[in-house]
Amino acid sequence: MSPPLAGKLALVTGGGRGIGKAIALKLASQGADIIVNFFRHRETAEETAKDIEALGVKASVIRANVGNPAKIDEMFDIINRDFGRLDILINNAASGVGRPVMDVTVKAWDWTMDINAKAALLCAQRASKLMEGRGGKIISISSLGSSFVLPTYTVVGVSKAALEALTRYLAIELAPKNICVNTVAASAVETEALKFYIKEQLMPDTRQATPVGRMVIPEDIANVVAFLCSEEASMIRGQTVIVDGGTSIAPFVIPSKEKD
Amino acid sequence: MSVEEQVKDIVAKIVHVDKGVITREGTFKDIKADSLDIVQALVAVEDAFDIEIPDEEAQKFQSFGDFISYVEKQVTEKEKA
Ligand SMILES: NC(=O)c1ccc[n+]([C@@H]2O[C@H](COP(=O)([O-])OP(=O)(O)OC[C@H]3O[C@@H](n4cnc5c(N)ncnc54)[C@H](OP(=O)(O)O)[C@@H]3O)[C@@H](O)[C@H]2O)c1
Repeated sequence: MSPPLAGKLALVTGGGRGIGKAIALKLASQGADIIVNFFRHRETAEETAKDIEALGVKASVIRANVGNPAKIDEMFDIINRDFGRLDILINNAASGVGRPVMDVTVKAWDWTMDINAKAALLCAQRASKLMEGRGGKIISISSLGSSFVLPTYTVVGVSKAALEALTRYLAIELAPKNICVNTVAASAVETEALKFYIKEQLMPDTRQATPVGRMVIPEDIANVVAFLCSEEASMIRGQTVIVDGGTSIAPFVIPSKEKD
Repeated sequence: MSVEEQVKDIVAKIVHVDKGVITREGTFKDIKADSLDIVQALVAVEDAFDIEIPDEEAQKFQSFGDFISYVEKQVTEKEKA
């Protein structure tokens, strides 16, 4: 039996490292060819592409700052030229400036909203054209900061709320084209970004604090993304699926400690 | 205008400082640039010269001098190609 995503082509924005890398590898392990988009870390992205190829599928790497609409256009022009199609878009790239609400500047707002929210709209618009007549999946990565207040997470939280609302609008408008749109929202996931937040004391070190007794890891997110990319999930539309080990629904439960 | 002058112009505009305070010996820290200023300055310089400054390289810069030299090298290599 061929793997579930054999012959499919997926673009993962910010796919070079962190959660994006885990998603890229998961989709690759299910047979999809992968386009890894990156911005600042070329070497890392190229290493990820090698890891993807080792799984027996094709990988390519495209540099683009998704915060810049012209660069998004260039990226999709390349995809259109080289492949002429796309089956899966993962809006994973994100950036942000950690500041309390009263310290948010126009510059910090625009930077964060452009990369985390506007890019998802523009990528979805271009991607859906490449999915025309064949259907497709668009999955975005959000965080609990869209609905809950995390210290200094301000603009990122707002951008994620926009992303989740956009998911609903896209899901309905693209449903007749057989494009399935959803979001996966994570609590703190063990990545470089999280280490940075903890080091800068922008976030308490809750690394073991889920009712499950272990941290959410990038692969947990990747598994859910892969499910949403499968045909079994095709009646889930416009939803934000929370992957947090139960944290958000159990504010009064004392987290169990990871067993040594 | 030389590459050096152009880089200084871009950095000054983004960090909102007087161009005169940017010296080859100086650093982003000296001109009180925050992390967003730095990445935006790198991106603006990349776009202005149509070059790439990966983070792996940028992290090695000890001063604006290193930054400017890197840009000069990239621009020269581009012209040769
Ligand atoms: N880590 C967590 O705890 C957590 C929790 C909830 C949700 N999330 C979400 O999960 C996603 C991935 O997070 P992560 O923790 O893996 O992030 P990360 O380690 O900070 O990596 C960010 C990724 O986004 C890319 N990126 C950033 N700005 C970009 C731009 N302008 N254009 C293109 N790519 C850009 C980066 O590529 P370069 O390195 O090449 O620039 C990198 O691959 C994000 O949407 C994040 O909000 C993370």
